[in-house]
Amino acid sequence: MEAATARLGRRKARKRKSYGSEERRLAALLLSPAMIVIALVAAYPIGYAVWLSLTEYSVRVPGKWRFAGFDNYTKAFGSTEFWDAVKNTFIFTGLSVTLELVIGLGMALAMHAAFKGRGLLRTVVLVPWAVLTVVSAITWRTLFEPNLGLAPTVLGKLGIAENVVWLGQSGYAMAVMVLADVWKTAPFMALLLLAGLQVIPDDVYDAAKVDGATAWQRFRRITLPLLVPAILVALIFRTLDALRIFDLPFVLTGGTNGTSTLSLIAQQELTTNNLIGYGSALSVLTFVIVMAVSFIYIRTVGGNIRSLAEDN
Amino acid sequence: MLKIPRVLAALAAMLLFAVAGCGSDDDDSGGASSAEKATQAKASGNVTWCIGKDTTGAFGTVVDNFNKANPNAKVKLLELPEDAVEQRRLQIQRLRAKSDECDVLGMDVIWTAEYAAQGWLKDVSDYISQNGDKFIKSTVDTTDFEGKNWGVPFNSNAGFIYYRTDEVDKAPSTWEDLYKQAQQGNGVVYQGFRYEGLTVNFLELLYSAGGSIVSDDGKQATADSQEVKDVLKFMADGIKNGAAPKAVTTYKEEESRRAFESGNATFMRNWPYAYALGKDSKIGDKFDIATFPGFAGQEGAGVLGGYNLGISAYSKNPEGSLAFIEFATEPDQQKIMATEASLPPTVSATYDDPAVKKAMPFAAELKTAIEQAQPRPVSPVYPQISEAVYNNVYDALQGKSSPDEAASNMNDQIQQALETF
Amino acid sequence: MEAHAMERVAAEPRAAERRAPRRKWVRPVLMWLVVVAIIIFCLFPFYWLINVSLKTGPDLAQSDLFPPSPTLDNYDSIFKNGDFTSALRNSVIVTTITTALALIVGSFAAYALARLRFPHKFLLLAVILSISTFPAIAIAAPIFKLWTDIGFYDTYIGLILPYLTFALPLAIYILTSFFKEIPKSLEEAALVDGATYFQAFRKVVLPLAAPGLVTAGLLTAFFVWNEFLLAQTLTSSPKAFTVPVAVANFTGSQKFEIPLGTISAASVVITIPLVAAVIIFQKRIVAGMTAGAVKG
Repeated sequence: MEAATARLGRRKARKRKSYGSEERRLAALLLSPAMIVIALVAAYPIGYAVWLSLTEYSVRVPGKWRFAGFDNYTKAFGSTEFWDAVKNTFIFTGLSVTLELVIGLGMALAMHAAFKGRGLLRTVVLVPWAVLTVVSAITWRTLFEPNLGLAPTVLGKLGIAENVVWLGQSGYAMAVMVLADVWKTAPFMALLLLAGLQVIPDDVYDAAKVDGATAWQRFRRITLPLLVPAILVALIFRTLDALRIFDLPFVLTGGTNGTSTLSLIAQQELTTNNLIGYGSALSVLTFVIVMAVSFIYIRTVGGNIRSLAEDN
Repeated sequence: MLKIPRVLAALAAMLLFAVAGCGSDDDDSGGASSAEKATQAKASGNVTWCIGKDTTGAFGTVVDNFNKANPNAKVKLLELPEDAVEQRRLQIQRLRAKSDECDVLGMDVIWTAEYAAQGWLKDVSDYISQNGDKFIKSTVDTTDFEGKNWGVPFNSNAGFIYYRTDEVDKAPSTWEDLYKQAQQGNGVVYQGFRYEGLTVNFLELLYSAGGSIVSDDGKQATADSQEVKDVLKFMADGIKNGAAPKAVTTYKEEESRRAFESGNATFMRNWPYAYALGKDSKIGDKFDIATFPGFAGQEGAGVLGGYNLGISAYSKNPEGSLAFIEFATEPDQQKIMATEASLPPTVSATYDDPAVKKAMPFAAELKTAIEQAQPRPVSPVYPQISEAVYNNVYDALQGKSSPDEAASNMNDQIQQALETF
Repeated sequence: MEAHAMERVAAEPRAAERRAPRRKWVRPVLMWLVVVAIIIFCLFPFYWLINVSLKTGPDLAQSDLFPPSPTLDNYDSIFKNGDFTSALRNSVIVTTITTALALIVGSFAAYALARLRFPHKFLLLAVILSISTFPAIAIAAPIFKLWTDIGFYDTYIGLILPYLTFALPLAIYILTSFFKEIPKSLEEAALVDGATYFQAFRKVVLPLAAPGLVTAGLLTAFFVWNEFLLAQTLTSSPKAFTVPVAVANFTGSQKFEIPLGTISAASVVITIPLVAAVIIFQKRIVAGMTAGAVKG
């Protein structure tokens, strides 16, 4: 054994310089397919999108275009459509991520508590996550559709929002959208948080119980602080997803009645209004906003990536 | 895919164009001229017809008839979603991608100028100049963009007022009366959702009042006018005082039809297609239709709707496509559209056919309505113009903006659209 | 952090001991109520979808909890609809190929990141991960134009390439975490025995990383199957469109105004196998989801 290790050491010492570069060459080789795909299909299109956002294509003469500088961006910043979409996107993100966190935490705690139904719960809780986003949007649409949907009928009987056409009114449509998203992703949050809960050793709780801490105190003083890393990761994923949301408003309402989101208006300007330059500008703006938020997060939770990147 | 030897295809094409030039007769005794029969028998290849959902089966019937009459050709019906916005999006997607998937496009009249400006359609001016006479003139005008024709009128449309015969004696002669009676009765339903249909409903009132949203030369927005403000106020007040139910701002054609058919409204504004469906419903013998009343003391006005058939610039079979279009606009096939789908024909003579008169007792009024209906602004940026209209009308209906604000915003947005590069 | 928490907890007064003892049955009943509430919350919408899928005609204009006259007509018509079966086929093909490629290309990259030493690793990892945060719309239009020009529009490869780009970061992240878990000594032993890096990779690391591969594969497959925006932008015909696109654009072959009945039936059909797969593989999926959450 020692001889082998010694041999290894000598090998390392002898090939110190070339070992390093051999490793690097190999790393470059192994990483190149991934990086090529990424460069081709992510970096280049983004660059092209930026270029397109600086142009304007004629809607009167086929193929004609001109360089428009920042005109498209000025147009975006001056349009109510853009700011409404920004507002709606952030409202949606704030509401759904918060609700998902709270409900997800509740579900996680329920699943963590030791009792018989846990296995069943874990399975059941994955059903919403397994449903396609498009299908989920369709489901919630049928639930709130006038005449066909159960929700308006039931809620009406309870005296809540009688005669409201949910998907046809500003505010209510957003509520349905948030509800649909929460339904679909609270389970995802629950599972992430459950994993975090399961890492907390039981003896910490036992000791606290012995010392007379109530359940609420145990939760606030032990559980929550120890869950913070898991919560942060869940928050990143969900926030970034929510900022980019497209499927849900597209199927639910087509973006009307206060449910237009950044991705949606960019797609509409691009594909329905033939405004390639303007639509690209909106896409780039969406990209910048999302990347800004993700940058903030990576700085905060960079720990995970850092540990992955460490050489050990 | 049926592979036809190139020579045969070329021969067929030449013959087709040669004979098509001889013109088609208005033969309302039910048969195409023998020359036409000959050309169509030579139509060949595959043709895909992309149009909205075939809710009544009439499209399918026309396709079957063509395939039977033309053994060398095969037309396939590719149904797009019922929603016109989705139809346009899906057509534009394929056109932008230069896909040959769609040969014949069923285009709403308001898209024709847009598609033409983008170079997505084949020029069919020759066909129109030789055959245009059989069509109602106003429908042919919808295919005109910058002096050329880019489509063939397939069906037309003009709206009507439907009214319950057991609740009112006769159709009111002014919009003001209509709303008053609606308020006392069960209300009026129309298409008030934030979409193209709202633009149509709005323009029907505006045109009657003598107003406009775009100048005649298509270069200036004219929406900041007293007529526009009056109409906006009228429509918004109608919802406020209960003449129209609040839910009307969520209705498109189907929703308003269902509301009327379930007995929940005294009046409805809708296209003729609702007539046949209404007759089959529980209020079948309790309603009738009438042409539009007038607004502000003027005569009633209609907005011209309908679909044109165009040939995609990327089609691999333009000859077969034209042959099919010619077939679909024959009196026989137009008759099927009228009797089975309540889709108003574009061929004048069809209106005199007894079968058509039986299926649509209002056929004569319909023809007049179509002849006199006014088009929406013909412009490649029509979608943006319409958006400016329906967004602001919608806000006014919901009380989010005053008529004055809505008119001013509408004007600004239309002007911006007209100045699009 | 734990010690600190414990200190604070211990400092709380021992009032709990002096409180009246709770009745024994309250807690379990409360627990069960919560469980039932969660189950209803999670499953009811799916039940509703099945409910709507069994309704046709005038039933679709009413909100009955059970279909008044249940019928399988909707299911019948979607299977007769050639478009739906084409979409299923396309989705299966695109998902399989993308997942396979993501795993292969991803493992290479993950191995390099986990084992080899080279500069700028953090930057590289951050860049790769940031790709997965791109809004799809940002690349949709340029790729559309690009694909139109080179003929990839409405093709499998036209979808596989963008999907690979979005799947790789996730796969690389999961696989890197899993690779790192495997002790280096095993590989070093193999290297000492004269194996090349590649052989060490294949014979030592890969088998141990199998669970990680399954997880990464499942999550990738799920992402691809689910994706809507790019699929809708880059395809339009049964040649290549995927299930989400087909379902969203369903016209329903029934002559009815709301195709929601047939859309619901199609939705049920594509969801049931997914739910089954998720239930079977739940452990792996959860492991993948939490790969980064709890470590580090």
